[in-house]
Amino acid sequence: MKKEYEIKARDFVRAGKAAIGVQNILKSIGFEQDIIRRVSICAYESEMNVVMHGADGSLLLGVENKEIVLEVRDSGEGIEDIELALKEGYSTASEEHRDMGFGAGMGLPNMKKHSNVFEISSQKGNGTYLRMVFWVNGNRE
Amino acid sequence: MQEKENHVHYVRIDEDICNGCVLCMKACPTKAIRVLDDGVAHILGCCIECGNCIRACPKGAITSLTAGKDALKMSKHHIVPVSPVLYAQFGEDVMPNDILLSMRKAFDFVYDQSYTQELFNVATGLYIREHRNQNDGHWPVISPMCPVVNRLIAFRFPSLLKHILPFATPLEIVCREGKKWLSKKYGCQPEDIKVFPVTACPAKMTALSETLPDELSRIDGAIGINEIYDLIKSDIHEVQEPDEHIVLNYLSGVGIGWAMSGGEVAGLDAVRSLAVSGMKTTIRYLHAIEMGLLKDVDYVELRACREGCVGGAFAVTDKYAAKHSLNKLIRMFGSEKRVNFSYAQKLYREGWFNTTRNPTPLSDSASRLSIPEAIKREEDLEKLLKTLPRKECGVCGCPDCRTFAEDVIDGRTSVDKCIFMQP
Ligand SMILES: Nc1ncnc2c1ncn2[C@@H]1O[C@H](COP(=O)(O)OP(=O)(O)OP(=O)(O)O)[C@@H](O)[C@H]1O
Ligand SMILES: [Mg+2]
Repeated sequence: MKKEYEIKARDFVRAGKAAIGVQNILKSIGFEQDIIRRVSICAYESEMNVVMHGADGSLLLGVENKEIVLEVRDSGEGIEDIELALKEGYSTASEEHRDMGFGAGMGLPNMKKHSNVFEISSQKGNGTYLRMVFWVNGNRE
Repeated sequence: MQEKENHVHYVRIDEDICNGCVLCMKACPTKAIRVLDDGVAHILGCCIECGNCIRACPKGAITSLTAGKDALKMSKHHIVPVSPVLYAQFGEDVMPNDILLSMRKAFDFVYDQSYTQELFNVATGLYIREHRNQNDGHWPVISPMCPVVNRLIAFRFPSLLKHILPFATPLEIVCREGKKWLSKKYGCQPEDIKVFPVTACPAKMTALSETLPDELSRIDGAIGINEIYDLIKSDIHEVQEPDEHIVLNYLSGVGIGWAMSGGEVAGLDAVRSLAVSGMKTTIRYLHAIEMGLLKDVDYVELRACREGCVGGAFAVTDKYAAKHSLNKLIRMFGSEKRVNFSYAQKLYREGWFNTTRNPTPLSDSASRLSIPEAIKREEDLEKLLKTLPRKECGVCGCPDCRTFAEDVIDGRTSVDKCIFMQP
């Protein structure tokens, strides 16, 4: 099954709704707690990145028997140096975002850590695309 | 829904009074209510006894069963632990002493819980420090105090059951120790001493049906504040005789504060804590905890009722007015703990606070399906949802379109119940 969530840039009131939606669907299907937790963390971190750093975008949840896939895209400024952005602690978050508790520079590293497959593509001025795959029961096939 | 038999609950809808409006159904956070073909509301799903439906019903058709004050007549000896919410019900000039004194006339053994609450605070701090040092445990630890939150977690957030502080609540401790102590005093069996707390909480009765291996910690029934309000009020007078002062055992500002959101954590020293109240906010925080967003916090006090227990469905006085009175009392009694720290520490080490309660998940209808079946169900749901008008009107007898779609897919209702889908 697939389900798409809209993400509005800079809308901190609605932020987190997509991640909670993902969490609720995975729970109602009845996946194991650990994979739900990992997918929700990644959904939340990627949603927040779009809200904070990107422009309007979307999060697409794909659920199959053996894998769960998250695809997150936005049409914002993009990331100039992906390698740098993936470093723990690297952040361009504004003062205002830091006041709200964001900007530890841990979002992307955590997504990489918690997913089984992590792909990112971005170009300056051309938006950002993220794809994360989570294997159900550690299954690779 | 299959859950019906599995979960004993005490909320009742009077079919003669209910006119089948949708308000209770819409207010229910677990979507447990449906208006059926008989034109009245029924609780079919998992009720967590939050009391939202009781508050929402304009007809007063919904109540929560309590033991009622007549239950006291059935037992010779009983203990009546008092919720500090009671102290805020009679206006700011009526002192807890006056209230306790008035109650002493009607009930056998009236007990203020401040002392146990202070002990509990100290033990919570010790538990957190011990486990943070060993770097084990699940963070943040969640307060076990609110029975509605406990049920909500068991139903919708089972992965968080491990976060609940594994302590008996002050009320359970009062129950256990009180039964032991009074039975010795009267030379009877502990089971012959009955405990009936006076409370604003419609969920307190669940402690009756939750099978604790340790019978002693179990209350024998709850009495709603609204049920004894008039009785107490008619008898309140200022303490005048010197011997009347003796009713006081151990009142403290720390204990009084427990009636409000933030009151429990106010008694926790050197602990990073949060206090959250209200159903919606509580659910939001449970999602956040589940996503691991609050790992840096040690302890979270969650209360299903807005503003905490003062917002309980059995309270008589408005919660904001009640808070005003309580704050005045706290200033008067002071916010210092008076309990002996090393004594509390000794009790903690002896396992005095440990609970035999073993929280287990409350199951959900979809969880009986295999993963492929459940994914298929989710697909069908999405497909059906797209065809529905999303007016969220409730005329079909379901709280919202999503729940209606679930009920259709699971065979509990049919699509033509939607007035917009009729041919
Ligand atoms: N969708 C995006 N569009 C543009 N830039 C992005 C996007 N996602 C991440 N970045 C850039 O990558 C950096 C690192 O992101 P990461 O999520 O790791 O940390 P953060 O968002 O700054 O802080 P945290 O996630 O810990 O709150 C960001 O500061 C930002 O410069
Ligand atoms: Mg981030």
